[in-house]
Amino acid sequence: MVDKGQVISLCRFLLRAGRQYPDYNIREYAKRRTLDGFRMNKNLTDHSKVVDAYVEGKKQLEVVERLVKVYLAYPPKTKNIMELKLQ
Amino acid sequence: MALRNAVLRHLRVPVQNLAVRGSNQSQIGFLGSIRAFSSHDDHLSKQDVVDRVLDVVKSFPKVDPAKVTPDVHFQKDLGLDSLDTVEIVMAIEEEFKLEIPDKEADKIDSCSLAIEYVFNHPMSS
Repeated sequence: MVDKGQVISLCRFLLRAGRQYPDYNIREYAKRRTLDGFRMNKNLTDHSKVVDAYVEGKKQLEVVERLVKVYLAYPPKTKNIMELKLQ
Repeated sequence: MALRNAVLRHLRVPVQNLAVRGSNQSQIGFLGSIRAFSSHDDHLSKQDVVDRVLDVVKSFPKVDPAKVTPDVHFQKDLGLDSLDTVEIVMAIEEEFKLEIPDKEADKIDSCSLAIEYVFNHPMSS
């Protein structure tokens, strides 16, 4: 029984985990992909499909958290140009 | 407050065209840590919070910037859904370097609530 609050909470966990990546490109991709993923399944009516999508989301959350630890061990050496403030 | 601004103005005289907000705030941060000028000087002003929150909302691609006012409701007035609300609250968290817990983030439904929350949070910067 997955309700709306849990889905929103999962979305937040994924976005927060994705924010920790040191690499700008991967960070932006994580954010874009989670939002697109949730929006794609926004209008599902069949509850079993909703549960499937939720379980899939939980798996992806594990993946993101694991990869964050790996990427933090090898941070990029220079700042990406998109991260520099406009002078 | 006036004394601190006078000193800041004096410090900024030799540098030209520093109209960038980032440098202004970094200077305030340095002097704020000394705490010699007032007891509560490292907190943001209400107008500053309002401006920055509105900028974050306006730069959202799904939002029409002309409709954004300090008391606009995300879902009712701007026609966003709950996922967009989550995204906006995340963007506000990043802008002010805060960590908003889930319970509070669920309640933030409109610009006015967001502005109030950020203004009352002791760690906003």
